[in-house]
Amino acid sequence: MYHLQFILNGLIAGSVYALFAVGLTMTYGIFRFINFAHGELIAWGAYGLLWFSGPLLGLPLIWAALPAIALTICIALAADKLVYAPLRHQDRITLLIASIGLSFFLRSLLQLVFGAELMTYGREAGRGWEIAGLYVTGVQAGMGITAVAFLAGLYLLLTRTLLGKALRAVSDNMELAGIMGLPMHRVNRTVWLLSALFAAVGGMLLGLDTSLDPFMGLANLVKAFAAVLLGGAGNVWGALLGGLFIGITENLSVAFIDPGYKDFVAFAVIIAMLLFRPQGIFALTRGEVR
Amino acid sequence: MNYLLHTLVMVMIYVVLAQSMNLQLGYAGLYNLGHVAFFGIGAYTSALIAMAGWPEELGMAVAMLVAGGCGALVAFPVLRLTGDFFGIATLAFAEMAYIFFLNERWLTNGPMGLPGIPRPQWIGQELTALPLYLLMALLLTVAAHLGLRRLVKSPFGRALKVVREDEQVARALGKNVLALKIKAVAVGTGLAGLAGALWAHYVTYISPADFTLQTTILILLCVVLGGKGSLHGPILGAIIVIFFQEGLRFLPIPADLNRFVAPIQGMVFGLALIVLMRKRPSGIWPEHRRKKN
Amino acid sequence: MKHMLARMFGLLLALTLIASGAMAADAVTVGAITPLSGKLSVYGEGFQKAMLLALDAVNAEGGINGVPMAIKYEDNTSTAQGSVSAIQKLISVHKLPVIFGPAASTNFLAICPIAQQNKTILIGAESAASDISKCGDYVFRVFPSDLLQGRGVAELAKELGYGEVALTYVNNDWGVGLAEVFKDAYTQAGGKIVDELAHAEGRADYRSELLRLKRAKTKAVVNLTYIKEAATMLKQAYEIGIDTQWLMGSASKSPKMVELAGQAAEGVIGTYPTFSQQTPQYQAYQTAWKQKYPDQKLPVFGEYNYDMVLLTANALRLAKDNSVQAIRAALIEAAIGFTGATGDKTFDANGDVGATYGRWTVKDGKIGDYK
Repeated sequence: MYHLQFILNGLIAGSVYALFAVGLTMTYGIFRFINFAHGELIAWGAYGLLWFSGPLLGLPLIWAALPAIALTICIALAADKLVYAPLRHQDRITLLIASIGLSFFLRSLLQLVFGAELMTYGREAGRGWEIAGLYVTGVQAGMGITAVAFLAGLYLLLTRTLLGKALRAVSDNMELAGIMGLPMHRVNRTVWLLSALFAAVGGMLLGLDTSLDPFMGLANLVKAFAAVLLGGAGNVWGALLGGLFIGITENLSVAFIDPGYKDFVAFAVIIAMLLFRPQGIFALTRGEVR
Repeated sequence: MNYLLHTLVMVMIYVVLAQSMNLQLGYAGLYNLGHVAFFGIGAYTSALIAMAGWPEELGMAVAMLVAGGCGALVAFPVLRLTGDFFGIATLAFAEMAYIFFLNERWLTNGPMGLPGIPRPQWIGQELTALPLYLLMALLLTVAAHLGLRRLVKSPFGRALKVVREDEQVARALGKNVLALKIKAVAVGTGLAGLAGALWAHYVTYISPADFTLQTTILILLCVVLGGKGSLHGPILGAIIVIFFQEGLRFLPIPADLNRFVAPIQGMVFGLALIVLMRKRPSGIWPEHRRKKN
Repeated sequence: MKHMLARMFGLLLALTLIASGAMAADAVTVGAITPLSGKLSVYGEGFQKAMLLALDAVNAEGGINGVPMAIKYEDNTSTAQGSVSAIQKLISVHKLPVIFGPAASTNFLAICPIAQQNKTILIGAESAASDISKCGDYVFRVFPSDLLQGRGVAELAKELGYGEVALTYVNNDWGVGLAEVFKDAYTQAGGKIVDELAHAEGRADYRSELLRLKRAKTKAVVNLTYIKEAATMLKQAYEIGIDTQWLMGSASKSPKMVELAGQAAEGVIGTYPTFSQQTPQYQAYQTAWKQKYPDQKLPVFGEYNYDMVLLTANALRLAKDNSVQAIRAALIEAAIGFTGATGDKTFDANGDVGATYGRWTVKDGKIGDYK
């Protein structure tokens, strides 16, 4: 029972990591670089919700989520237009450094506007439901359901719509897709939109479950990396499974090791993956990791 | 006057850090985003040795060896990976190092840090000994620079550049690419360890919080601003960045606006990186032979 | 391009030189390292205001033998690094013989060796770590050491009848130090610590740590931590169904903690250093504060800062000359029997003061004294 609780917590945490990872892996799959600023999309989503539901506008949480998501999407699109698109044809290190710079900028801006203190959405503490000896709070259940809903939606998008098919084609082979006449602009925009959407929703869920601080994006970025690597970069379903895996291992590990080393687990996973199987455990026969 | 000396010592330390990162980034094309971990390893090693009673000079030398050794150890398995992934792996290593510093209280005293790190005997512990410390820092920095210069102009350095430009060509030319890269990382991280030792004995107090990603970004800015791949670029970058940072302390900012200084500084640095990449990716002092990008 | 750079460089150089030269001449100045920015800045503001209040009182009585007293503030950005920079600046640039040290024991401990080696008097008003007693003979504090609080918590646990507890503490100087003292005192009194673990500062999710504590199944858990961490832990503990008596320290005692934790904080019991608020000294402090800052609440530890400044002023007046030795001797003498807003500030051999420890609890959403 003791260990099962850890696994349950891990599943919930993992579903949020899955949301982060999915967005990150999509941009990697299409644009072929690791977006360091992805973490800031997570953070801005969470803080956006705080602002829109805060004293100024006072929207109830569900409604405030919409403008918060819109804000995050705008940031992502602006970042692409001003920073990433102009550098698309430069060498990778330039893109990497620019994304590091952007991440630093966005994080500092967040700190400037909201301050460095830990903040919360002001929810009251509620006793969780006890089911067969395991505790789940309403928020945790909500997180799980939301994550599943979004991921299901993504599945439908990718497999049932034309746009989704275009996305997959581009991910497979960008040049060819362009030559074949796929609307590259639309595809790019869609990728950023989806990436930001998932990051924002994940951030809001995380903030709801725990709290917000300016470094929340960065801390989770590395876990998202780990999940992306596990699943094979560019592989959306792999990222999902990767996120769940990280969540569970991380939480379960605390039963055996010093809780101070909890974060260590995600990093160790990254290194282990990179050393032994860089194409990911769950990689299908895409094999496009360069 | 003393504050100027203080700033100069910081500049020296960051010059060594920037140059050592540049060796990996600019010359070998390796994005070692975990550079700060070796800075930390050097600092802790030197501090612990000195606090155990051994001569500080010995501590500094050992710090370099340990940091360089760790660098080689980490690099060896991880270098098989391509660019971005090497970056993430080293980043992950830096985070692991941070967690290690934070949790292993028996060794590093955890979050409490190590206060009272002694300075070399001939310098003395009083603050009035600052000019002497600066002298030592200067000598070491110049030595490091000259060493790097020789390395870079040697066949080793040229081979590194070939590796950076096109690994396949390097292999075709019969170069052992992996060995070259490991050496570059070992030297780079070893020098970062030296910078760490300089830092530890200067500030006399270190804690895990000194060795985070923020510092890596700062070093990155020095390298990129000054000019990656050039020998003197990082020096210039370090001077500009550190003077800017220390100079900010003297701006007369009203007390209640004080808390905005740090985030605004962060925004400026972030923007600087972006603008540099867009407008002048090769930095202020680019490599000589490189034509415009 | 290089020309412009050279000029920029020269300008920065000049600015640095000018700034380092200027210093006020005709006042008796002491230094203060205060967290004016960074995560402790919300407290730092309060400390500064309390110090200014005391400064007013000192100068209204003629300053230091006719010369006004002044305080030079340096921001330590709430970090240990910042504290080191600040004290280096205060000693080397401004050459001040007395410095009021920064909050947070880690920050204070970081600069103790520097103060000691450079023979500068360092006084603390809010640092509790027991290690500070060992800092040296130039280091004093008007705030009681945690050595006393650790014993206080152990006594509380025993008195309430808890023969075994689980222990968790925040992973920094304050938490680790206090936990060590508590463990010693508690186990010596026959108590048993079933499980103990440190928790990181400033995290959003403590569920893993809490599950470990839950597994210990003790009737009481000793949690020595700060405000935000306490609130998060209490809330999450409540959510996962932990039913236990929480015993806490002084750092969690704050209305903010209760506000953040909501009903999860009900019934928490803790210790804190007490002093009577009915003494004339405390009343004088309170009145002066209300006069100068009418709409602001009394700041946390404000009264300790107030006492620190007044005591230092007394010492400066008493000192034979301006040398650090003389000031130090005068400080010790001035403290004997000095009763400030926070009680008796006589220094012991280590430069520490004594204290009594009272108990607090949260009842109906408010903090009050226990029993």
